Amino acid sequence: MTRHIKEIIIKYVFFSFALVSIVVLGMIVFSLFREGVPIFKVVSLKDFLFGTEWYPTFDPPLFGIFTLIVGSLIVTIFATLLAVPLGVMTAIYISEIAPRAIKEILKSIIEMLAGLPSVVLGFFGMVVVAPWLQNTFDLPTGLNIVNASMILALMAVPTISSISEDALYAVPHEFKEASYALGATRFETIAKVIVPAALSGITTAVMLGMARAIGETMVVLMVAGGAAAIPESIFDSVRPMPASIAAEMGETPYRSAHYHALFATGMVLFFLTLAFNLIADYVSHKFKQTGSATP
Amino acid sequence: MDSNIIIKLNNVNFYYGNNRALTDISMTFRKNKVTALIGPSGCGKSTLLRLLNRMNDLIDGTRVEGEILFEEKNIYDPEIDPVEIRKKVGMVFQKPNPFPKTIYNNIAYGPKLASNNTGDINTLVEQSLKQAVLWDEVKDILNQSAMKLSGGQQQRLCIARALAMKPDILLMDEPTSALDPISTAKIEELIEELKKNYTIIIVTHNMQQAARISDETAFFYLGNLVEYNKTEKIFTNPDVKHTEDYITGRFG
Ligand SMILES: Nc1ncnc2c1ncn2[C@@H]1O[C@H](COP(=O)(O)OP(=O)(O)OP(=O)(O)O)[C@@H](O)[C@H]1O
Ligand SMILES: [Mg+2]
Repeated sequence: MTRHIKEIIIKYVFFSFALVSIVVLGMIVFSLFREGVPIFKVVSLKDFLFGTEWYPTFDPPLFGIFTLIVGSLIVTIFATLLAVPLGVMTAIYISEIAPRAIKEILKSIIEMLAGLPSVVLGFFGMVVVAPWLQNTFDLPTGLNIVNASMILALMAVPTISSISEDALYAVPHEFKEASYALGATRFETIAKVIVPAALSGITTAVMLGMARAIGETMVVLMVAGGAAAIPESIFDSVRPMPASIAAEMGETPYRSAHYHALFATGMVLFFLTLAFNLIADYVSHKFKQTGSATP
Repeated sequence: MDSNIIIKLNNVNFYYGNNRALTDISMTFRKNKVTALIGPSGCGKSTLLRLLNRMNDLIDGTRVEGEILFEEKNIYDPEIDPVEIRKKVGMVFQKPNPFPKTIYNNIAYGPKLASNNTGDINTLVEQSLKQAVLWDEVKDILNQSAMKLSGGQQQRLCIARALAMKPDILLMDEPTSALDPISTAKIEELIEELKKNYTIIIVTHNMQQAARISDETAFFYLGNLVEYNKTEKIFTNPDVKHTEDYITGRFG
Protein backbone atom coordinates (compact mmCIF):
# COMPACT_ATOMS: atom_id res chain seq x y z
CA MET A 1 0.00 0.00 0.00
CA THR A 2 1.45 3.34 -0.92
CA ARG A 3 1.74 6.09 1.60
CA HIS A 4 -0.72 8.11 -0.42
CA ILE A 5 -3.48 5.52 -0.19
CA LYS A 6 -2.83 5.09 3.50
CA GLU A 7 -3.31 8.78 4.07
CA ILE A 8 -6.55 8.78 2.17
CA ILE A 9 -7.83 5.87 4.23
CA ILE A 10 -6.83 7.54 7.49
CA LYS A 11 -8.52 10.71 6.39
CA TYR A 12 -11.79 8.91 5.72
CA VAL A 13 -11.65 6.94 8.94
CA PHE A 14 -11.44 10.17 10.90
CA PHE A 15 -14.06 11.76 8.71
CA SER A 16 -16.52 8.95 9.35
CA PHE A 17 -16.04 9.15 13.10
CA ALA A 18 -16.71 12.86 12.95
CA LEU A 19 -19.70 12.14 10.76
CA VAL A 20 -21.24 9.77 13.32
CA SER A 21 -21.66 12.49 15.91
CA ILE A 22 -23.03 14.92 13.34
CA VAL A 23 -25.53 12.35 12.09
CA VAL A 24 -26.66 11.48 15.60
CA LEU A 25 -27.09 15.14 16.43
CA GLY A 26 -29.07 15.60 13.22
CA MET A 27 -31.32 12.71 14.10
CA ILE A 28 -31.99 14.08 17.56
CA VAL A 29 -32.87 17.49 16.20
CA PHE A 30 -35.02 15.91 13.52
CA SER A 31 -37.04 13.82 15.98
CA LEU A 32 -37.39 16.83 18.27
CA PHE A 33 -38.98 18.74 15.43
CA ARG A 34 -41.06 15.83 14.19
CA GLU A 35 -42.61 15.39 17.60
CA GLY A 36 -42.82 19.07 18.42
CA VAL A 37 -44.12 20.77 15.31
CA PRO A 38 -47.60 19.06 15.28
CA ILE A 39 -48.61 21.11 18.32
CA PHE A 40 -48.95 24.11 16.03
CA LYS A 41 -52.03 22.50 14.49
CA VAL A 42 -53.66 22.94 17.90
CA VAL A 43 -52.25 26.28 18.98
CA SER A 44 -50.64 29.14 17.07
CA LEU A 45 -46.92 29.83 17.50
CA LYS A 46 -47.75 33.15 19.09
CA ASP A 47 -50.19 31.70 21.62
CA PHE A 48 -47.77 28.92 22.37
CA LEU A 49 -44.83 31.22 23.09
CA PHE A 50 -46.69 34.11 24.69
CA GLY A 51 -49.74 32.47 26.22
CA THR A 52 -49.56 32.63 29.99
CA GLU A 53 -51.88 29.71 30.69
CA TRP A 54 -50.25 26.33 30.90
CA TYR A 55 -53.09 23.89 31.61
CA PRO A 56 -52.23 20.94 29.40
CA THR A 57 -54.61 18.51 31.07
CA PHE A 58 -57.69 20.75 31.19
CA ASP A 59 -60.56 20.37 28.81
CA PRO A 60 -59.97 22.17 26.52
CA PRO A 61 -56.23 22.22 27.28
CA LEU A 62 -54.27 25.46 27.24
CA PHE A 63 -50.72 25.38 25.90
CA GLY A 64 -49.10 28.73 26.64
CA ILE A 65 -45.50 28.31 27.78
CA PHE A 66 -44.68 31.95 28.47
CA THR A 67 -44.57 31.36 32.22
CA LEU A 68 -42.18 28.45 31.66
CA ILE A 69 -39.91 30.57 29.46
CA VAL A 70 -39.94 33.32 32.06
CA GLY A 71 -39.18 30.74 34.74
CA SER A 72 -36.20 29.43 32.79
CA LEU A 73 -34.84 32.86 31.96
CA ILE A 74 -35.23 34.26 35.42
CA VAL A 75 -33.42 31.45 37.21
CA THR A 76 -30.74 31.49 34.53
CA ILE A 77 -30.23 35.23 34.84
CA PHE A 78 -30.05 35.18 38.61
CA ALA A 79 -27.78 32.15 38.53
CA THR A 80 -25.52 34.00 36.09
CA LEU A 81 -25.44 37.10 38.27
CA LEU A 82 -24.23 34.93 41.12
CA ALA A 83 -21.96 32.61 39.16
CA VAL A 84 -20.09 35.12 36.99
CA PRO A 85 -18.41 37.10 39.76
CA LEU A 86 -17.76 33.94 41.72
CA GLY A 87 -16.44 31.96 38.77
CA VAL A 88 -14.37 34.72 37.22
CA MET A 89 -12.90 35.87 40.53
CA THR A 90 -12.02 32.29 41.38
CA ALA A 91 -10.33 31.88 38.02
CA ILE A 92 -8.35 35.10 38.48
CA TYR A 93 -7.38 34.10 41.98
CA ILE A 94 -6.28 30.64 40.89
CA SER A 95 -4.35 31.72 37.83
CA GLU A 96 -2.79 34.98 38.99
CA ILE A 97 -2.77 35.36 42.73
CA ALA A 98 -2.95 32.18 44.79
CA PRO A 99 0.19 30.56 46.16
CA ARG A 100 0.78 27.14 44.64
CA ALA A 101 -0.58 25.06 47.54
CA ILE A 102 -3.86 26.96 47.76
CA LYS A 103 -4.16 26.89 44.00
CA GLU A 104 -4.06 23.09 43.94
CA ILE A 105 -6.58 22.76 46.75
CA LEU A 106 -9.00 25.20 45.12
CA LYS A 107 -8.71 23.51 41.77
CA SER A 108 -9.57 20.11 43.18
CA ILE A 109 -12.52 21.54 45.09
CA ILE A 110 -13.86 23.05 41.88
CA GLU A 111 -13.35 19.80 40.06
CA MET A 112 -15.28 17.98 42.77
CA LEU A 113 -18.08 20.50 42.46
CA ALA A 114 -18.16 19.89 38.72
CA GLY A 115 -18.34 16.18 39.32
CA LEU A 116 -21.28 16.28 41.76
CA PRO A 117 -24.38 14.70 40.21
CA SER A 118 -27.07 17.31 39.82
CA VAL A 119 -29.48 15.22 41.84
CA VAL A 120 -27.15 15.57 44.81
CA LEU A 121 -27.09 19.33 44.43
CA GLY A 122 -30.85 19.34 44.04
CA PHE A 123 -31.18 17.29 47.20
CA PHE A 124 -28.95 19.77 49.01
CA GLY A 125 -31.22 22.57 47.78
CA MET A 126 -34.28 20.72 49.03
CA VAL A 127 -33.19 19.67 52.47
CA VAL A 128 -30.70 22.39 53.43
CA VAL A 129 -31.30 25.57 51.45
CA ALA A 130 -35.11 25.39 51.27
CA PRO A 131 -35.79 25.10 55.02
CA TRP A 132 -33.21 27.75 55.72
CA LEU A 133 -34.80 30.18 53.24
CA GLN A 134 -38.26 29.38 54.56
CA ASN A 135 -37.31 30.07 58.16
CA THR A 136 -35.07 33.05 57.55
CA PHE A 137 -37.47 34.97 55.31
CA ASP A 138 -40.67 33.48 56.72
CA LEU A 139 -41.89 32.12 53.39
CA PRO A 140 -44.63 29.65 52.49
CA THR A 141 -42.00 27.58 50.64
CA GLY A 142 -38.25 27.55 50.26
CA LEU A 143 -38.50 25.99 46.81
CA ASN A 144 -38.32 29.12 44.71
CA ILE A 145 -36.32 31.34 42.36
CA VAL A 146 -33.64 32.19 44.91
CA ASN A 147 -33.04 28.58 45.80
CA ALA A 148 -32.93 27.38 42.19
CA SER A 149 -30.64 30.26 41.17
CA MET A 150 -28.22 29.53 43.97
CA ILE A 151 -27.98 25.84 43.15
CA LEU A 152 -27.71 26.53 39.40
CA ALA A 153 -24.98 29.06 40.12
CA LEU A 154 -23.13 26.40 42.05
CA MET A 155 -23.33 24.20 38.95
CA ALA A 156 -22.24 26.95 36.56
CA VAL A 157 -19.25 28.08 38.64
CA PRO A 158 -16.98 25.16 37.67
CA THR A 159 -17.73 25.67 33.97
CA ILE A 160 -17.13 29.40 34.16
CA SER A 161 -14.04 29.22 36.31
CA SER A 162 -12.26 26.43 34.49
CA ILE A 163 -12.78 27.91 31.02
CA SER A 164 -11.88 31.41 32.27
CA GLU A 165 -8.80 29.99 33.93
CA ASP A 166 -7.63 28.49 30.66
CA ALA A 167 -8.18 31.83 28.96
CA LEU A 168 -6.18 33.62 31.65
CA TYR A 169 -3.32 31.14 31.44
CA ALA A 170 -3.21 31.63 27.70
CA VAL A 171 -2.39 35.34 28.09
CA PRO A 172 1.26 35.58 27.04
CA HIS A 173 3.74 36.16 29.81
CA GLU A 174 5.25 38.99 27.74
CA PHE A 175 2.16 41.14 28.26
CA LYS A 176 2.49 40.84 32.01
CA GLU A 177 6.19 41.67 31.93
CA ALA A 178 5.51 44.68 29.73
CA SER A 179 2.92 45.92 32.18
CA TYR A 180 5.09 45.48 35.26
CA ALA A 181 8.01 47.12 33.49
CA LEU A 182 5.85 50.21 33.01
CA GLY A 183 5.33 50.50 36.72
CA ALA A 184 1.93 48.83 36.95
CA THR A 185 1.02 47.03 40.14
CA ARG A 186 -0.15 43.45 40.15
CA PHE A 187 -3.79 44.45 40.37
CA GLU A 188 -3.46 47.05 37.62
CA THR A 189 -1.84 44.40 35.47
CA ILE A 190 -4.66 41.96 36.15
CA ALA A 191 -7.41 44.50 35.55
CA LYS A 192 -5.96 46.34 32.58
CA VAL A 193 -3.92 43.76 30.71
CA ILE A 194 -4.61 40.18 31.71
CA VAL A 195 -8.40 40.24 31.98
CA PRO A 196 -8.91 42.30 28.78
CA ALA A 197 -6.59 39.97 26.90
CA ALA A 198 -8.57 36.99 28.17
CA LEU A 199 -11.97 38.62 27.72
CA SER A 200 -13.08 36.60 24.74
CA GLY A 201 -12.38 33.38 26.60
CA ILE A 202 -14.08 34.66 29.73
CA THR A 203 -17.16 35.65 27.75
CA THR A 204 -17.25 32.23 26.16
CA ALA A 205 -17.03 30.74 29.63
CA VAL A 206 -19.96 32.82 30.83
CA MET A 207 -22.08 31.89 27.83
CA LEU A 208 -21.36 28.20 28.23
CA GLY A 209 -22.10 28.47 31.94
CA MET A 210 -25.46 30.05 31.09
CA ALA A 211 -26.19 27.36 28.52
CA ARG A 212 -25.47 24.81 31.22
CA ALA A 213 -27.81 26.53 33.66
CA ILE A 214 -30.71 26.96 31.25
CA GLY A 215 -30.63 23.32 30.19
CA GLU A 216 -30.24 21.90 33.67
CA THR A 217 -33.24 19.77 34.55
CA MET A 218 -32.86 17.93 37.82
CA VAL A 219 -32.07 20.95 39.95
CA VAL A 220 -34.97 23.07 38.72
CA LEU A 221 -37.27 20.10 38.95
CA MET A 222 -36.35 19.64 42.59
CA VAL A 223 -35.99 23.17 43.94
CA ALA A 224 -37.74 25.72 41.70
CA GLY A 225 -41.13 24.97 43.19
CA GLY A 226 -42.98 24.15 39.98
CA ALA A 227 -45.55 26.95 39.81
CA ALA A 228 -46.43 27.83 36.22
CA ALA A 229 -47.09 31.48 36.92
CA ILE A 230 -45.34 34.76 36.27
CA PRO A 231 -43.38 35.40 39.47
CA GLU A 232 -43.89 38.62 41.37
CA SER A 233 -40.99 38.30 43.76
CA ILE A 234 -37.71 36.44 43.83
CA PHE A 235 -39.20 34.23 46.53
CA ASP A 236 -41.95 32.95 44.24
CA SER A 237 -41.89 29.49 42.77
CA VAL A 238 -41.38 29.03 39.03
CA ARG A 239 -41.58 26.16 36.57
CA PRO A 240 -38.63 26.32 34.16
CA MET A 241 -39.02 24.51 30.84
CA PRO A 242 -36.84 21.47 31.59
CA ALA A 243 -38.69 20.91 34.88
CA SER A 244 -42.00 20.99 33.09
CA ILE A 245 -40.84 18.51 30.45
CA ALA A 246 -39.35 16.12 32.96
CA ALA A 247 -42.30 16.23 35.32
CA GLU A 248 -45.01 15.80 32.71
CA MET A 249 -43.53 13.61 30.01
CA GLY A 250 -44.13 10.40 31.94
CA GLU A 251 -47.87 10.99 32.15
CA THR A 252 -48.69 12.14 28.64
CA PRO A 253 -50.22 9.71 26.16
CA TYR A 254 -47.98 9.04 23.17
CA ARG A 255 -48.47 11.66 20.45
CA SER A 256 -51.20 13.51 22.30
CA ALA A 257 -51.37 17.28 22.07
CA HIS A 258 -49.73 17.55 25.47
CA TYR A 259 -46.92 15.25 24.28
CA HIS A 260 -46.33 17.44 21.23
CA ALA A 261 -46.43 20.56 23.39
CA LEU A 262 -43.66 19.20 25.58
CA PHE A 263 -41.51 18.44 22.55
CA ALA A 264 -42.17 21.93 21.24
CA THR A 265 -41.01 23.24 24.62
CA GLY A 266 -37.87 21.20 24.05
CA MET A 267 -37.46 22.97 20.71
CA VAL A 268 -37.63 26.36 22.41
CA LEU A 269 -35.01 25.20 24.87
CA PHE A 270 -32.87 23.94 22.02
CA PHE A 271 -33.00 27.31 20.27
CA LEU A 272 -32.16 29.17 23.46
CA THR A 273 -29.12 26.98 24.11
CA LEU A 274 -28.10 27.30 20.48
CA ALA A 275 -28.33 31.07 20.79
CA PHE A 276 -26.02 31.06 23.82
CA ASN A 277 -23.50 28.93 21.98
CA LEU A 278 -23.64 31.11 18.88
CA ILE A 279 -23.14 34.25 20.95
CA ALA A 280 -20.21 32.61 22.71
CA ASP A 281 -18.71 31.70 19.36
CA TYR A 282 -19.29 35.14 17.87
CA VAL A 283 -17.84 36.94 20.86
CA SER A 284 -14.74 34.81 20.98
CA HIS A 285 -14.04 35.42 17.29
CA LYS A 286 -14.83 39.08 17.36
CA PHE A 287 -12.48 39.86 20.21
CA LYS A 288 -9.76 37.60 18.94
CA GLN A 289 -9.19 39.74 15.86
CA THR A 290 -8.56 43.02 17.57
CA GLY A 291 -6.85 41.19 20.38
CA SER A 292 -8.73 43.03 23.06
CA ALA A 293 -12.06 44.43 23.97
CA THR A 294 -10.60 47.72 25.09
CA PRO A 295 -10.36 50.06 22.12
CA MET B 1 28.65 59.84 44.32
CA ASP B 2 30.06 61.45 41.20
CA SER B 3 27.25 63.41 39.52
CA ASN B 4 27.97 61.66 36.24
CA ILE B 5 27.11 58.35 37.79
CA ILE B 6 23.50 57.27 37.82
CA ILE B 7 23.73 53.68 39.03
CA LYS B 8 26.31 52.08 41.24
CA LEU B 9 26.52 48.39 42.04
CA ASN B 10 28.42 47.35 45.16
CA ASN B 11 29.39 43.69 45.47
CA VAL B 12 26.19 42.35 43.97
CA ASN B 13 25.51 38.63 44.03
CA PHE B 14 22.36 37.22 42.53
CA TYR B 15 20.84 33.77 42.98
CA TYR B 16 18.12 31.81 41.22
CA GLY B 17 17.34 29.40 44.06
CA ASN B 18 20.75 28.00 44.90
CA ASN B 19 22.32 28.89 41.58
CA ARG B 20 24.47 31.94 41.64
CA ALA B 21 23.98 33.81 38.35
CA LEU B 22 26.03 36.91 39.21
CA THR B 23 29.16 36.96 41.31
CA ASP B 24 30.38 39.98 43.20
CA ILE B 25 29.59 42.60 40.59
CA SER B 26 30.73 46.13 41.31
CA MET B 27 30.35 48.68 38.57
CA THR B 28 28.92 52.08 37.79
CA PHE B 29 26.76 53.30 34.94
CA ARG B 30 27.25 56.81 33.64
CA LYS B 31 24.50 59.27 33.00
CA ASN B 32 23.48 60.00 29.39
CA LYS B 33 25.79 57.34 28.04
CA VAL B 34 25.09 54.13 26.24
CA THR B 35 26.55 51.15 28.05
CA ALA B 36 26.67 47.82 26.27
CA LEU B 37 26.63 44.52 28.15
CA ILE B 38 28.22 41.72 26.15
CA GLY B 39 29.21 38.15 26.79
CA PRO B 40 28.32 34.60 25.81
CA SER B 41 24.84 33.20 26.31
CA GLY B 42 23.97 32.47 29.93
CA CYS B 43 26.65 34.74 31.39
CA GLY B 44 24.07 36.83 33.26
CA LYS B 45 23.53 39.90 31.08
CA SER B 46 19.76 39.76 31.19
CA THR B 47 19.85 38.93 34.86
CA LEU B 48 21.90 42.05 35.56
CA LEU B 49 19.63 44.21 33.42
CA ARG B 50 16.53 42.93 35.15
CA LEU B 51 18.10 43.61 38.52
CA LEU B 52 18.19 47.29 37.71
CA ASN B 53 14.40 47.66 37.50
CA ARG B 54 13.60 44.88 39.94
CA MET B 55 12.00 42.70 37.29
CA ASN B 56 13.69 39.71 38.87
CA ASP B 57 11.37 40.19 41.84
CA LEU B 58 8.70 38.57 39.70
CA ILE B 59 10.59 35.28 39.62
CA ASP B 60 10.06 33.03 42.62
CA GLY B 61 13.02 32.01 44.72
CA THR B 62 15.48 34.69 43.66
CA ARG B 63 17.80 36.50 46.06
CA VAL B 64 20.02 39.57 45.85
CA GLU B 65 23.06 40.40 47.95
CA GLY B 66 24.98 43.65 47.95
CA GLU B 67 23.52 47.00 47.01
CA ILE B 68 22.44 48.81 43.89
CA LEU B 69 22.40 52.56 44.32
CA PHE B 70 20.17 54.65 42.11
CA GLU B 71 19.95 58.33 42.98
CA GLU B 72 21.98 57.54 46.11
CA LYS B 73 19.39 55.06 47.38
CA ASN B 74 19.65 51.30 47.44
CA ILE B 75 16.81 50.11 45.24
CA TYR B 76 16.73 46.83 47.17
CA ASP B 77 16.12 48.60 50.44
CA PRO B 78 12.94 47.08 51.95
CA GLU B 79 11.40 50.54 52.06
CA ILE B 80 11.65 51.03 48.32
CA ASP B 81 8.58 50.21 46.26
CA PRO B 82 9.64 48.34 43.11
CA VAL B 83 6.74 49.94 41.24
CA GLU B 84 8.31 53.35 41.76
CA ILE B 85 11.66 52.08 40.48
CA ARG B 86 10.08 50.66 37.34
CA LYS B 87 8.48 54.00 36.56
CA LYS B 88 11.92 55.59 36.48
CA VAL B 89 13.76 52.74 34.84
CA GLY B 90 12.09 51.71 31.60
CA MET B 91 12.66 48.46 29.79
CA VAL B 92 12.50 47.21 26.22
CA PHE B 93 12.45 43.46 25.71
CA GLN B 94 14.08 41.17 23.21
CA LYS B 95 10.80 40.16 21.61
CA PRO B 96 8.55 43.12 20.78
CA ASN B 97 5.66 42.83 23.23
CA PRO B 98 3.00 45.44 22.55
CA PHE B 99 -0.28 44.98 24.39
CA PRO B 100 -3.19 43.72 22.29
CA LYS B 101 -4.63 47.21 22.45
CA THR B 102 -4.63 50.12 20.05
CA ILE B 103 -1.41 51.94 19.26
CA TYR B 104 -2.68 54.91 21.23
CA ASN B 105 -3.59 52.86 24.27
CA ASN B 106 -0.25 51.10 24.25
CA ILE B 107 1.49 54.42 24.75
CA ALA B 108 -1.10 55.84 27.11
CA TYR B 109 -1.12 52.75 29.33
CA GLY B 110 1.75 53.66 31.63
CA PRO B 111 1.14 57.40 31.94
CA LYS B 112 -2.56 56.86 32.70
CA LEU B 113 -1.69 54.55 35.56
CA ALA B 114 1.05 56.79 36.84
CA SER B 115 -0.94 59.98 37.26
CA ASN B 116 -4.54 60.61 38.09
CA ASN B 117 -4.72 63.76 36.04
CA THR B 118 -4.96 62.42 32.53
CA GLY B 119 -3.41 65.80 31.65
CA ASP B 120 -2.38 65.97 28.08
CA ILE B 121 -2.06 62.36 27.15
CA ASN B 122 -2.58 63.15 23.46
CA THR B 123 0.48 65.34 23.38
CA LEU B 124 2.45 62.79 25.30
CA VAL B 125 1.47 60.03 22.86
CA GLU B 126 2.50 62.16 19.91
CA GLN B 127 5.73 63.22 21.55
CA SER B 128 6.70 59.67 22.49
CA LEU B 129 5.93 58.30 19.05
CA LYS B 130 7.97 61.09 17.48
CA GLN B 131 10.86 60.36 19.78
CA ALA B 132 10.74 56.75 18.71
CA VAL B 133 10.56 57.86 15.04
CA LEU B 134 7.29 56.06 14.55
CA TRP B 135 4.88 58.98 14.42
CA ASP B 136 4.84 59.44 10.66
CA GLU B 137 4.08 55.79 10.10
CA VAL B 138 1.23 55.51 12.58
CA LYS B 139 -0.26 58.96 13.03
CA ASP B 140 -3.31 58.02 10.96
CA ILE B 141 -3.87 54.62 12.52
CA LEU B 142 -3.59 55.38 16.22
CA ASN B 143 -6.80 53.48 16.87
CA GLN B 144 -5.67 50.37 15.12
CA SER B 145 -4.45 47.34 17.04
CA ALA B 146 -0.71 47.45 17.70
CA MET B 147 -0.57 43.77 16.87
CA LYS B 148 -0.97 44.63 13.19
CA LEU B 149 2.31 46.55 13.00
CA SER B 150 5.47 44.95 11.65
CA GLY B 151 8.04 43.59 14.09
CA GLY B 152 10.30 46.61 13.70
CA GLN B 153 7.40 49.00 14.16
CA GLN B 154 6.24 47.06 17.19
CA GLN B 155 9.67 47.35 18.75
CA ARG B 156 9.75 51.11 18.17
CA LEU B 157 6.27 51.23 19.67
CA CYS B 158 7.61 49.45 22.73
CA ILE B 159 10.40 52.00 22.93
CA ALA B 160 7.86 54.82 22.62
CA ARG B 161 5.75 53.17 25.31
CA ALA B 162 8.75 53.10 27.65
CA LEU B 163 9.65 56.71 26.79
CA ALA B 164 6.12 57.90 27.57
CA MET B 165 6.91 57.24 31.23
CA LYS B 166 9.75 59.77 30.95
CA PRO B 167 12.18 57.38 32.60
CA ASP B 168 15.71 58.31 33.62
CA ILE B 169 17.13 55.07 32.38
CA LEU B 170 16.21 52.84 29.49
CA LEU B 171 17.16 49.17 29.70
CA MET B 172 17.21 47.26 26.43
CA ASP B 173 17.64 43.51 26.26
CA GLU B 174 18.76 42.57 22.75
CA PRO B 175 16.19 44.95 21.27
CA THR B 176 17.12 44.26 17.67
CA SER B 177 17.76 40.53 17.72
CA ALA B 178 14.32 39.78 16.30
CA LEU B 179 14.51 42.45 13.61
CA ASP B 180 15.72 42.79 10.02
CA PRO B 181 18.77 44.97 9.19
CA ILE B 182 16.71 48.00 8.18
CA SER B 183 14.66 48.04 11.37
CA THR B 184 17.86 47.42 13.31
CA ALA B 185 19.52 50.44 11.72
CA LYS B 186 16.50 52.56 12.60
CA ILE B 187 16.63 51.51 16.20
CA GLU B 188 20.37 52.12 16.39
CA GLU B 189 19.86 55.64 15.05
CA LEU B 190 17.16 56.10 17.59
CA ILE B 191 19.47 55.06 20.41
CA GLU B 192 22.05 57.62 19.24
CA GLU B 193 19.36 60.25 19.45
CA LEU B 194 17.96 59.13 22.80
CA LYS B 195 21.22 59.18 24.67
CA LYS B 196 21.10 62.97 24.75
CA ASN B 197 18.31 62.69 27.29
CA TYR B 198 18.47 59.19 28.66
CA THR B 199 20.90 56.76 30.14
CA ILE B 200 20.78 53.61 28.06
CA ILE B 201 21.97 50.18 29.07
CA ILE B 202 21.78 47.66 26.28
CA VAL B 203 22.45 43.94 26.07
CA THR B 204 23.59 42.79 22.67
CA HIS B 205 25.14 39.78 20.99
CA ASN B 206 26.07 41.85 18.00
CA MET B 207 29.66 43.07 18.43
CA GLN B 208 29.39 45.60 15.63
CA GLN B 209 26.31 46.99 17.24
CA ALA B 210 28.02 47.35 20.59
CA ALA B 211 30.97 49.03 18.90
CA ARG B 212 28.75 51.36 16.88
CA ILE B 213 26.37 52.62 19.48
CA SER B 214 27.90 52.34 22.93
CA ASP B 215 30.21 54.58 24.89
CA GLU B 216 31.18 51.96 27.42
CA THR B 217 31.21 48.21 27.20
CA ALA B 218 31.15 45.58 29.91
CA PHE B 219 32.17 42.02 29.15
CA PHE B 220 30.71 39.27 31.32
CA TYR B 221 31.63 35.65 31.59
CA LEU B 222 29.93 33.04 33.78
CA GLY B 223 28.38 35.65 36.02
CA ASN B 224 31.58 37.63 36.48
CA LEU B 225 32.40 41.05 35.18
CA VAL B 226 35.60 40.42 33.26
CA GLU B 227 36.34 43.80 31.80
CA TYR B 228 34.59 47.14 31.77
CA ASN B 229 35.90 50.11 29.89
CA LYS B 230 35.38 52.65 27.15
CA THR B 231 33.99 50.89 24.10
CA GLU B 232 36.85 52.09 21.95
CA LYS B 233 39.36 50.64 24.32
CA ILE B 234 37.51 47.31 24.67
CA PHE B 235 37.29 46.89 20.93
CA THR B 236 40.78 48.02 20.01
CA ASN B 237 43.00 47.20 22.91
CA PRO B 238 41.32 45.22 25.70
CA ASP B 239 43.29 44.62 28.87
CA VAL B 240 42.13 41.06 29.29
CA LYS B 241 42.97 38.35 26.79
CA HIS B 242 39.61 36.72 27.40
CA THR B 243 37.79 39.83 26.22
CA GLU B 244 39.83 39.98 23.07
CA ASP B 245 39.11 36.33 22.32
CA TYR B 246 35.41 36.89 22.72
CA ILE B 247 35.27 40.03 20.62
CA THR B 248 37.30 38.58 17.82
CA GLY B 249 35.10 35.50 17.87
CA ARG B 250 37.74 33.05 18.98
CA PHE B 251 35.25 31.50 21.37
CA GLY B 252 31.48 31.62 21.60
N1 LIG C 1 14.14 32.34 35.51
C1 LIG C 1 15.31 31.69 35.76
N2 LIG C 1 15.33 30.69 36.66
C2 LIG C 1 16.46 30.03 36.92
N3 LIG C 1 17.63 30.28 36.35
C3 LIG C 1 17.68 31.28 35.44
C4 LIG C 1 16.53 32.03 35.11
N4 LIG C 1 16.86 32.94 34.19
C5 LIG C 1 18.18 32.76 33.95
N5 LIG C 1 18.69 31.78 34.71
C6 LIG C 1 20.08 31.31 34.72
O1 LIG C 1 20.91 32.39 35.03
C7 LIG C 1 22.06 32.42 34.20
C8 LIG C 1 22.16 33.74 33.50
O2 LIG C 1 21.05 33.88 32.64
P1 LIG C 1 20.77 35.18 31.79
O3 LIG C 1 19.42 35.04 31.20
O4 LIG C 1 21.02 36.36 32.63
O5 LIG C 1 21.91 35.06 30.67
P2 LIG C 1 22.17 36.02 29.43
O6 LIG C 1 23.56 36.49 29.57
O7 LIG C 1 21.12 37.05 29.30
O8 LIG C 1 22.08 34.98 28.24
P3 LIG C 1 21.51 35.21 26.76
O9 LIG C 1 22.58 35.90 26.02
O10 LIG C 1 21.31 33.82 26.26
O11 LIG C 1 20.25 35.98 26.87
C9 LIG C 1 21.93 31.24 33.26
O12 LIG C 1 22.75 30.21 33.74
C10 LIG C 1 20.49 30.84 33.35
O13 LIG C 1 20.35 29.46 33.22
MG1 LIG D 1 19.49 37.37 27.91
